[in-house]
Amino acid sequence: MHIPENYLSPQTCAVMTGAVAPAWGISIYKVSKELPKEKIAMMGVAASFSFLGMMFNVPLPGGTTGHAVGGTLIALLLGPYAACISVSVALLLQALLFGDGGILAFGANCFNMAFVLPFVGYAVAHLISPSIGQGKATRRDLTAAAIGSYVGINAAALCAAIEFGIQPLLFHDAAGNALYCPYGLSVSIPAMMIGHLTIFGLAEMVFTTAIYSFVSSTSPALMARQPETKTSLPLKIFLGAMILATPLGLLAEGTAWGEWGAEEIASTGAGYTPSGLANGWSLNAMLPDYSIAGMPDSIAYILSAVIGAALLIIIFKLISLAVGKASASAA
Amino acid sequence: MTEQIMKGIARLLDSDTASSAQKTQLHPVLRLLGVFACILFCALSRNSIFVIGVIAVSLVRIAMLPPRRMAGVLRPVLVPVLLTCLVLLPSVFMGHPRTMLTVALKVFASASTLALLNESVPWKDITGAFAALRMPDIFILTLDMTVRSIVLLGRLCRSMGEAVSLRSFKGPDTARDGRSLVRRERDRTRRDAAGGLLGTVFIRSGMLAERTSEAMTCRCFDGTYRLYKKHKWNIWDAAYVLVLMVLAAAFFYTQSLII
Repeated sequence: MHIPENYLSPQTCAVMTGAVAPAWGISIYKVSKELPKEKIAMMGVAASFSFLGMMFNVPLPGGTTGHAVGGTLIALLLGPYAACISVSVALLLQALLFGDGGILAFGANCFNMAFVLPFVGYAVAHLISPSIGQGKATRRDLTAAAIGSYVGINAAALCAAIEFGIQPLLFHDAAGNALYCPYGLSVSIPAMMIGHLTIFGLAEMVFTTAIYSFVSSTSPALMARQPETKTSLPLKIFLGAMILATPLGLLAEGTAWGEWGAEEIASTGAGYTPSGLANGWSLNAMLPDYSIAGMPDSIAYILSAVIGAALLIIIFKLISLAVGKASASAA
Repeated sequence: MTEQIMKGIARLLDSDTASSAQKTQLHPVLRLLGVFACILFCALSRNSIFVIGVIAVSLVRIAMLPPRRMAGVLRPVLVPVLLTCLVLLPSVFMGHPRTMLTVALKVFASASTLALLNESVPWKDITGAFAALRMPDIFILTLDMTVRSIVLLGRLCRSMGEAVSLRSFKGPDTARDGRSLVRRERDRTRRDAAGGLLGTVFIRSGMLAERTSEAMTCRCFDGTYRLYKKHKWNIWDAAYVLVLMVLAAAFFYTQSLII
């Protein structure tokens, strides 16, 4: 679901960034006012789960792949505003360090995965179980988490599909060739939704319910409505185990729909490489596609997971320190 | 930037008394050797694989620290990294951005390893480790005194600078030919104050050295570093030796990889 560089026109990217900016502003305000500063540090752990979840690629017949996002999970644990910030920071890290998702398309990716996904997922889950997040997870809570995450990821996928699909309608040359994403709505919506309504939606459900159930029973510190503030040992071990298991994501071969490189898009059925893709701007990431030149893929994948998860925890711990200092000086 | 460097050095001594300094079960000599080996391997590394591995381990260790100590470790690390990026910025404009990245990564790896050593091992244990490694006493004494003097004189400079600024009178800026008479007078006062400040620090440094020498004589310290407490080797030391061997193996393995 990560929209790469040059698949969306700069105009679309600007509109999407403008659309998500108020959500960022309100989320920052709400989190700094309502979430205790100790819990802000927990956003890093939650963001790490989301980051790691996105590294587990799931294959789909036909050669495409997808992954869970974990936005609903963070929303259920720490609230939708915290989820918006956590997933946004995780996406920024992925774009800058690992080249996963475009820099220009960062606003669009955040709109889909950091705004639509957690807010829709949270709303649906709360509609089914209003008491979710208040103590140990019940069967009803888990059902609500599963359905919420499923609806959330599909809503986000639909938004991404529409963003892809409107490109050839709005931006094309005199010969009718698309300048950016070459596939219209008639292709992009079924291509994105079939995977997310089936396998990827299921992956998101399993990811959300499994971790939500584990966290609610072993580490209530990660839940906004619980008073605990220290991460439990089982949660740390679980995070470590997830990092070590990330190479499983390499078993899925192929590229996710809409995430092809400029050199392979012509062979996917488009028949040509759109000029915006061929001549567009791109960033040379430090660890492109979670790989390191010359190193076995599995080791590079684990190292990428370690660096990503550690950086997210560091960033949110430093934010919690800054918020604590600011509130102390204000008092 | 100078303030950050001063704070970094001050943390060396603060770790002697701060309750935040963890009591480590590892032999300080091993820790010191491990850090030296790590910095040496990072410097010798011909590709970024080993350096990225070291950075990953450092980041995990930093991520496990409480926020306040984490900030204390990161501040002195980021200063040299930013300075490196600034110095090597022309390489980006000349079409070699990788050069800046490689050097900055090496600096980050080395500085973070050193900052983590400082965070986890008290300064007195580090000087003790130097003594255990049979380093010349004059070298340890000079290092010890230099670090302590920098910190003490730095704190003196800061408190005197604050006193001078508190006593400075900021007059109104009435424009007349670009600079007012009041401002000119204020600049002259500041120049005098800075000169006086440096002179005072010079005199105080001489007094400090004299008092240190007297204190050494009173305590029968002739500049020889002796180890009074023997460290008993334990299972953690054995595990750390194993880690050092893995570090060396990882270095030689990564150097054999073709990029």
